[in-house]
Amino acid sequence: MNSVGNVILIEDDQQIRRFVKSALEGEGWKVFEAESGERGLIEARSRKPDLLVVDLGLPDMDGVEVVTEFRKWTTIPVLILSARIEEQEKILALDAGADDYLTKPFGVGELLARVRAVTRRRLQNTMASPKMCFADVEVDFIRRSVTRNGVAIHLTPIEYRLLSVLLSNIGKIMSHRRLMHEVWGPNNTESAHYLRIYMSHLRQKLEHDPAQPAHLLTETGIGYRFEL
Amino acid sequence: MLGNSETQQLKRNYLFAILICVVITMLATPLRQVLDLANIVMLFLLVVFLVALKLGRGPAIMSAILAVALFDVFFVPPRFSFTVNNAQYLITFSVMLAVGLATAHLTAKLSKHAAAAVDREQNTRRLYELARDLAGASSYDEISKALSLFVAWSGYTAKLHLLDANGEFPSLSQDIAFTTIAHMAIKQGALVNTSQLSDEGSLTLVLPLKSPHKVRGVLEANLEKYVGDVDKEMLEAVVNLVAIAVERLHYVALTQQTQLDATSERLRSSVLSSLSHDLRTPLTGLVGMADALALTTAQQSDSVHNAAIAIRDQALAMSHLLSNLLEMARLHSGKVALRKDWRLFEDVIGSAIKLLKPTLAQHPVTVTLAPDFPLVEFDDVLLERVLCNLLENAAKYSPLESPIEIREYISGECACIDVSDHGAGFPAGKTESLFHMFERGESESSTLGVGLGLAICSAIIEAHCGTIKAVNQAQGGACVTLCLPLGKPPIVNPEIEEA
Repeated sequence: MNSVGNVILIEDDQQIRRFVKSALEGEGWKVFEAESGERGLIEARSRKPDLLVVDLGLPDMDGVEVVTEFRKWTTIPVLILSARIEEQEKILALDAGADDYLTKPFGVGELLARVRAVTRRRLQNTMASPKMCFADVEVDFIRRSVTRNGVAIHLTPIEYRLLSVLLSNIGKIMSHRRLMHEVWGPNNTESAHYLRIYMSHLRQKLEHDPAQPAHLLTETGIGYRFEL
Repeated sequence: MLGNSETQQLKRNYLFAILICVVITMLATPLRQVLDLANIVMLFLLVVFLVALKLGRGPAIMSAILAVALFDVFFVPPRFSFTVNNAQYLITFSVMLAVGLATAHLTAKLSKHAAAAVDREQNTRRLYELARDLAGASSYDEISKALSLFVAWSGYTAKLHLLDANGEFPSLSQDIAFTTIAHMAIKQGALVNTSQLSDEGSLTLVLPLKSPHKVRGVLEANLEKYVGDVDKEMLEAVVNLVAIAVERLHYVALTQQTQLDATSERLRSSVLSSLSHDLRTPLTGLVGMADALALTTAQQSDSVHNAAIAIRDQALAMSHLLSNLLEMARLHSGKVALRKDWRLFEDVIGSAIKLLKPTLAQHPVTVTLAPDFPLVEFDDVLLERVLCNLLENAAKYSPLESPIEIREYISGECACIDVSDHGAGFPAGKTESLFHMFERGESESSTLGVGLGLAICSAIIEAHCGTIKAVNQAQGGACVTLCLPLGKPPIVNPEIEEA
């Protein structure tokens, strides 16, 4: 089978490493294992990886540190493995540059779906398209217009900005802070509840069932994510 | 009013002054031939000065007058009579009298000042000692001890009465009248003199212990007599020192408690998180490997495939149980640190439904959102947990394909969410106890679970100062209602759009 790329797997538990490795190998990845952050960073420098999978709870260093260190020299996708209660850690890791996370325990299907999502996003980002469609909505980035079933939808400037930030990061979790920063600018004085209100407006205007959104998703405790 | 001994002392001083005047007259008489009368006058003035210095003002004035009389009678010719031959002696007498009186007055004033200075110096030294003792005091008992050591000098007694956390005086539980006075002193922020309030013999002053932030109690001082402003100032200085010491002790205790709390909180959360990590890691391996096995055996024998799926599902169920147990331990281990912010219910409703998609696959969920629902202050991760538990219960205890409804609405001062199903409902009479730990509708049913779900919900909602209750609906099915206080949501300024 042709290799789709190199992946560095940094995880201290041998059993988890074993099944993640076999799942990824089944997809054609070449997997390099590391059981400590130190070792993982050395592997990452020598193996020219296309994906990094990091456990947040490592014995020698914090997973967030690994991500920060890694992000100093490369932009390849980073997927985090973490336990449910570590919300703050996840936000730190995402803000440090991680692309997505998986909550333990997870199945093979979930793992592969996330891996596909983060690697696909990388391809999409390289070819920016002037138009984008999801469900019955079409967004034209050149004319800055949004239509739903061919009918023009009026978005306020902030709503449009929020939508375009989410659309340019398809599938990626955007922390509250990051979204606030990108929509309201670096000196924003607004609080996160503004973000929630505008997100709610977007759902009202674009989602089929705003209470059970299919695209504009909430990542509780962390932020929001747009999913195709 | 002078004491008996002081009167005696004064009498003695007068007698002594007379005696000295007589003695000097007797000594000077033989020298009359040798000395000028002017020098004899000097001797008398010296006597007046010494009397003023040692015996005080009264004897000095008396001796000044006596000296003039004696000089006139025994030295100015004609002797042994008050008559004077030469009129210029009248000038000598008046100057002698004036100098004598002035000397008496000045000297007496000087020694009084000196005595007052000594007094003040003593008071300052004692206040300093009190301050030193108070600075070293590490308990309220030591403060009381330093205080009683100080007042032992002053001839009065003093007692400290401190307020407890409820604003009561534990040391005065018996004495209702005095408690009222103490509260009055605190309210007025000034000294209260109880002799103005009652006509008991002794005099009791009550002074509030005013520290920069709060009044922490009162000082009760019992005096035999009220000597004036000097004592009052002294007492106020003492009260200030004691108040500072009490305040310091209060903050020392507070700091220690905070440190203790922080340490135990750190310990608790580190135990919980390492427990969580150590138990979850093998489960993650188990779920992953069973899942991988299930995938690879999909085309092979049914029994192996089914066993792999069963292992995976059981491991997932165990992990879920573990999460609930750890969550319960966290919620019951003391203070829950809520990450409260102003949020929308719809965010957590949507994410909870999405999280439970596999569980809810057999149940259509309908959500009724209220238009323009206000922001509510809550911890989103915890509220999502509540909704997940409620939805899970609804799915577990209602027949397949029966719908589950979620509704948000405002009721009075509360923002509420209803989660209702069309199942069998709760067992009659058990809707209260269901929220207790390890309580289940049917104690040993085949439905998986240990009865932690609703207990967690109730602990989380209680931490939010909200209420949660379960009812059976008239048309059948269970309904759980959770209500959170509305509070005052922040104002959201609408976006101004340029035309």
